[in-house]
Amino acid sequence: MREYKPGKMLDHGGKLFNASQKFSIPVNEWLDLSTGINSESWPIGKIPASLFCRLPEEDDSLLPAAQSYYGVTNCLPIAGSQTAIQHLPHMRPSCNVAVISPGYEEHAFCWHYAGHKVYLISSEEIESILSNIDVLVIINPNNPTTERFSENQLCHWYDQLHKKKGWLIVDEAFMDITPDASVLKLSSNPGFIVLRSLGKFFGLAGIRVGFIFSDPAFLTKFSKGIGPWSISNPSRYIAIQALQDRAWQSKARNKLNKNAWKLFQLLNQANLSPHGRSDYFHWVVNKNSEEIFTHLAHQGILVRLFKEPLSLRFGLPSNKLEFERLENSLKHIKYLEKETSIA
Amino acid sequence: MISLLVLISALILDRLLGEPRVYHPLIGYGNFASFIEKIMNLCKGSRLIRRGIGVFALLVSTLPFLVIAIYLSSLHFLFDLLMLTLAIGWQSLREHGIDIRNALVSNDIPLARKNLRKVVSRDTAQLNETEICSASVESILENGNDAIFSAIFWFLIAGGPGVLLFRLVNTLDAMWGYKTSRYLHFGWAAARLDDVMNYIPARLTALSYYLTSLNYSALQCWSQQAKHWKSSNAGAVMASGAGSLNVKLGGIAYYNGKAEDRPMLGTSNLAKTSDIDAAINLISLSLKLWVATLIFIMGAQFYAGV
Repeated sequence: MREYKPGKMLDHGGKLFNASQKFSIPVNEWLDLSTGINSESWPIGKIPASLFCRLPEEDDSLLPAAQSYYGVTNCLPIAGSQTAIQHLPHMRPSCNVAVISPGYEEHAFCWHYAGHKVYLISSEEIESILSNIDVLVIINPNNPTTERFSENQLCHWYDQLHKKKGWLIVDEAFMDITPDASVLKLSSNPGFIVLRSLGKFFGLAGIRVGFIFSDPAFLTKFSKGIGPWSISNPSRYIAIQALQDRAWQSKARNKLNKNAWKLFQLLNQANLSPHGRSDYFHWVVNKNSEEIFTHLAHQGILVRLFKEPLSLRFGLPSNKLEFERLENSLKHIKYLEKETSIA
Repeated sequence: MISLLVLISALILDRLLGEPRVYHPLIGYGNFASFIEKIMNLCKGSRLIRRGIGVFALLVSTLPFLVIAIYLSSLHFLFDLLMLTLAIGWQSLREHGIDIRNALVSNDIPLARKNLRKVVSRDTAQLNETEICSASVESILENGNDAIFSAIFWFLIAGGPGVLLFRLVNTLDAMWGYKTSRYLHFGWAAARLDDVMNYIPARLTALSYYLTSLNYSALQCWSQQAKHWKSSNAGAVMASGAGSLNVKLGGIAYYNGKAEDRPMLGTSNLAKTSDIDAAINLISLSLKLWVATLIFIMGAQFYAGV
């Protein structure tokens, strides 16, 4: 456990322009595997021009479409789960917050920025720290470790936090492919907050649509805090269709699962056995991560490098050519030795 | 020649149709067998009497079907095709294995346990990833014998009626062949007949696991470990398969909450996710080897004018 101190800037995946300059390779020649976003996003069709001219209306069919897709009614559409990550810390007086680490860094940053005391903890430390904290932030499955938490564990932690009016926040950004493992059904309990988004599975990170789930009274309060029209009309239009497109969803699930398996085999063959795997990316802990990152970058393949612990995250190639390109680059790496230990 | 065509058609049909989504006749037969057991297994009398009742129950549960099958088989070869297609579970075995592997790739262990529960009788609720992988591989290797190679063997020996009898006896063994006080004597006959019917096919399966992998440790494991397994047939199949795949199988497993300390099989490498696919591949390759061998034999016979 350590107290969170923000660095100068938060680093995220998907920084293609930056890499393009650094390695002098034009943007369009890169194979970008640096994000966990489905690269074959839901196909956006023609958007009626009228949508750009009118204010969004909240009683359109976005809410029913989301309620039907997520299977629960206590749902509030927001402009990406980032909206909730930024706004939730302002809905509590200063308190002690524990954020799972390594994990998506915005959580810790936003709670810290709003004046709370933030601790970065590993999953093994949760039990022991529970009596000292008021808010626990879990990312399930976690990014990049892909660690998962069971419904029983989360229920148990929620019960203890709820006794002192604390919150359990579960960020389910990567849950869409395995809906049975979701805890959405528990999210109507007071102090139980679940976040979802259309960014990863639907590959629609750019439209900024996400959802917050909690008890209805809390959602009303939250909604007043962020004000009206936070999601643009065109975004609502796209989100509604994507949420309703069951045929695409089931095809995408199979495709991602299949590609995840191919990448898993490819990394294994390259002696880069993943320590964490998911349907969106695999996570490889390796002491030569920096060298491998640079080697791949020189060949126009961008993956995500993590310093703590020293590791790489590989997003999924989406077709045969991309797989072959990655496979060929991995063949020429000199640093491939069997790694087994993890920090 | 016709039996080869029937076999290839059955394999293609199985591959195309996949796991039967609707009612499979063996489920109905399972209900019939538990009804027979309920009315006939009195659980009393001397060992000899109880075994005798078991023999009688076995005859009642197989002979009538066998007679009908022999009659229908004499009418049309399509009956043989139907029997063989129903008996072969190649696609079902593949699909179940891939479902488990997919859940593991998603890192969804509860889902992987749930998918595994469909193909094994052991307790899966507490299994970790390695245990899920080894249980899946065991199930694939053993079912490769029961649901594919043994069935094909009996089809080649005795046509549709042969494969039907094998499948019925195999089902009865799965239902009655337990060493509990209720089944020990009553199920004796079914268990022994299943042992006898599987004796040669199990060894052919074990041999084809070796031949397709050409991994010498398959033969080593087979010769050293198979005899320690509770059934020497399953022991041969699983030891040879474990050796071919270079993976460790066996060890403690829990059945209805009770630990069963099973012997170790295979090598020292712990089972991993990719071993599930390797096992599926081993089955598919072995199947190709069988078909190729049969084509060769038929060709030789044809050429020799037999």
